[in-house]
Amino acid sequence: MSNLLVQNIKHTNNTTSMAIDTSGQVTIRGEGSATTTNLQQGLAKGWLQFNGTSTAAIQDSFNYASITDHTTGDYSSTLTNAMANNDYSVNISGAGADFIQQSVTTSATRVEVYNTSASGVDVAIVSKTAHGDLA
Amino acid sequence: MATLKTNTLTGTSTAGSIAVTGEGNSTTTNLQQGLCKCWVNFNGTATDAASRDTFNVSGMTDSATGNYVVSFSNNMGNANFSGVAVQGNNDATNAGVNATSAVGHTASSASGIETSNLDPASTDFQQISAVYHGDLA
Repeated sequence: MSNLLVQNIKHTNNTTSMAIDTSGQVTIRGEGSATTTNLQQGLAKGWLQFNGTSTAAIQDSFNYASITDHTTGDYSSTLTNAMANNDYSVNISGAGADFIQQSVTTSATRVEVYNTSASGVDVAIVSKTAHGDLA
Repeated sequence: MATLKTNTLTGTSTAGSIAVTGEGNSTTTNLQQGLCKCWVNFNGTATDAASRDTFNVSGMTDSATGNYVVSFSNNMGNANFSGVAVQGNNDATNAGVNATSAVGHTASSASGIETSNLDPASTDFQQISAVYHGDLA
């Protein structure tokens, strides 16, 4: 592995694109060029698509290691690299879901999918994304 | 201060894979995997579900009431990407907080969004936002 020790990354026209602080946090130029934003904070720390029918199965994922099918419409997904706290943002959609309830720990997110009768239902496509601070 | 001037950043082991130090400094995360590959804000009540702003969207289709298709400019690598959408209306008295949205897709080039009220009946909303994460082709 080769390491490049640098604090700023600029375009060849000398416009600063990224600045790296002493802890490795990266500030990146915004689209409007008036402000900067934090690269790490803007990255999704996990995303997942799974099939909730039959035994729940992950179709594709990032930083989600496994899924547990608790009961009809009730699934937990475990993060490979845990979050720093329980305060991170999780967004979920399920194709065919009428209501979705979620709960989180630093190492997993749980989603419960219901119909309008408040009964758990299995649906074929459930997606979630997680944004927040890695541990 | 050391400064690198370049037009392109590319991974050395895998061109499309760059590691970034996480917030806690105890682990790394993947730059490409963490990036949102597409986002859209559109008006579901407008003709042809007109988008207000987008990233990586080539077009919108208003298929039926509360039923839309987002087409990508650069396709995903497969149909297994993650898509999440939320919806609402502009006035607080008729907000969409008690409504639901669903995202489904069977293609790498587009994604369907369905929005409904509590009945549940397919319903057009003024504010619909969606984000997509996954592997680009």
